[in-house]
Amino acid sequence: MTEHTATIASGPTTAQSARVRRRLRELRPMLWFMPVLVLLLTVTLYPTLFVLWMSFQNTKFYELTGFVGLANYVDTLSSGAFWETTYTSLVYMAGSLVLSLGLGVLAALVLNELRRGGALLRVLTLVPWTLSMAVVGTMWLWLFNPSYGPIPYTIRALGLSPGLMLGDPELALWLTVLVTSWWSFPYAMVIVTAAIQSIPRELYEAISIDGGSWRAKLRYVTFPHLVPTLGSTALTLGILYLTLITLLIVLTGGGPLGATTTLSFEVFRGTVQAVNIGPTAVYSIAILLANVALGLLYMRVTGRVTA
Amino acid sequence: MRAGRLPNRATLLVLALLVVGSALGPMLWAISTSLKNEVNAVSAVPSLIPSPATLSNYVSVFSHKTFGIELLNSIVYAAGAVVIALGVGIPAGYVASRYTFPGKRSIMLIILATSMVPGVALLVPTFYLLDHLGILNNRLVLLIILASRIAPQTVWFMQNFIDAVPTEIDEAAHMDGASRAQILTRLVLPLIRPGIAAVAVIGAITTWNDYITVAVFAPDTTKRTLQVALVNQVFDAVGISWSFTMAFALVASLPVILMFLLVQKWFIAGLTAGAVKG
Repeated sequence: MTEHTATIASGPTTAQSARVRRRLRELRPMLWFMPVLVLLLTVTLYPTLFVLWMSFQNTKFYELTGFVGLANYVDTLSSGAFWETTYTSLVYMAGSLVLSLGLGVLAALVLNELRRGGALLRVLTLVPWTLSMAVVGTMWLWLFNPSYGPIPYTIRALGLSPGLMLGDPELALWLTVLVTSWWSFPYAMVIVTAAIQSIPRELYEAISIDGGSWRAKLRYVTFPHLVPTLGSTALTLGILYLTLITLLIVLTGGGPLGATTTLSFEVFRGTVQAVNIGPTAVYSIAILLANVALGLLYMRVTGRVTA
Repeated sequence: MRAGRLPNRATLLVLALLVVGSALGPMLWAISTSLKNEVNAVSAVPSLIPSPATLSNYVSVFSHKTFGIELLNSIVYAAGAVVIALGVGIPAGYVASRYTFPGKRSIMLIILATSMVPGVALLVPTFYLLDHLGILNNRLVLLIILASRIAPQTVWFMQNFIDAVPTEIDEAAHMDGASRAQILTRLVLPLIRPGIAAVAVIGAITTWNDYITVAVFAPDTTKRTLQVALVNQVFDAVGISWSFTMAFALVASLPVILMFLLVQKWFIAGLTAGAVKG
């Protein structure tokens, strides 16, 4: 009724008002998007813009004390700490990728060869992937415990010195890589298995007819087919490793002597210590940009665009 | 499709056992420790078989004074975040699947863009904003934040599931005078129930396993979850009882492992969706 009154008051022709009504009707489905949009705009997008704003501010504890332009960026990017942290992140990501993808491919090939029970064993192998990083970290902290853990015990039984394990600055990052890979290789295994199972049977038969061995099949059929899948899996896991914090909090707390302080861990440390959050905002932006770059690459590799 | 027989069947079986053993071995050690008494857990010669075996650590976990509230928080956050994510994700997924209208592409791009913002990058600004608004340690706020983390994937999953429902069903019901909301709730949703269950479980596992969001935005003893309580035990390096902590970690993981086993087929389908490129 109000709609009708308004039409008379503003005085457009009936044809025009019909067009406006049709247009409104077309837009009505958009209302169904409103809840999710409101959620994402307030909880995700607004803080994203806000951290950008923070990175241009002078900060003291949790107070913004004035616009300083690019000063935080200059300070951060010219500090050795930022680049050391970036280097640690890259080594951690690369090490974890190599190990988890390697183990993932191996596990997929082995379990896929089983005539029976392969699917069941895959489900069991996938269990670590469902555990929280807090639980994974706690379990491995105990396995690595220098006094009572079974891993240092075994190393001693072999006549070697286990040292401080996670307390050893030379070793901590690599043990963290090991734990990360234990947790995430099952994910790679599942994806690679799906890729192997999508390879047409005829390709293998062709090699059999030519008298090729299983080695030839792996070399000329399986591996070439896995390359694109490995690329997209590396990107998914790379993003995960870039942004991972909890495992580091539990295993090493970023130490010893900063040996496992990645970019993301530094953001966590800066957020809870809150001495000067301007540089922390810059670290956040660096991670955000890296994440978006990897995400866009992922979309390109998989050819997936949601819109 | 098999790549062809490996040279030796026995080698293959040994390798398969190695794979499964390396995945489950660390968990077996945790189970073993959780069944030991405090003295045996720290014996000089570690043994996988607890002797004597005891359930006392589990009794201690369940009777711990803050365990009840931590368990309740874990359940409330996981269930609440999933309910909110489905509440906003189902209508959006339905419209994304069924309608084209001006601006739809931009909306989908916003959802995609937000999915590329990692939780880490939001730590410092969200803490700042919550602190200044005086809403740290607020359960409802935390629920909304946790829901926002799983909302984008919920929209896409819903869109995909609804895409698989023939549009003829909608059209026929529309002819009969059913409203859009009626079509969605009475016809479409019942058809995609298994998909909704899978999305709910995956979202619940993600939220249940979260540590960082709860630890930073609601660290209060009465607001924290089992995951936060677990990590706090580890921080207390001097007073830690490893047999108790292992029992606690296993109790905190059991719901997740059960949910996973319940929907493992969909869980695996969800992981591989779109990840394989041939």
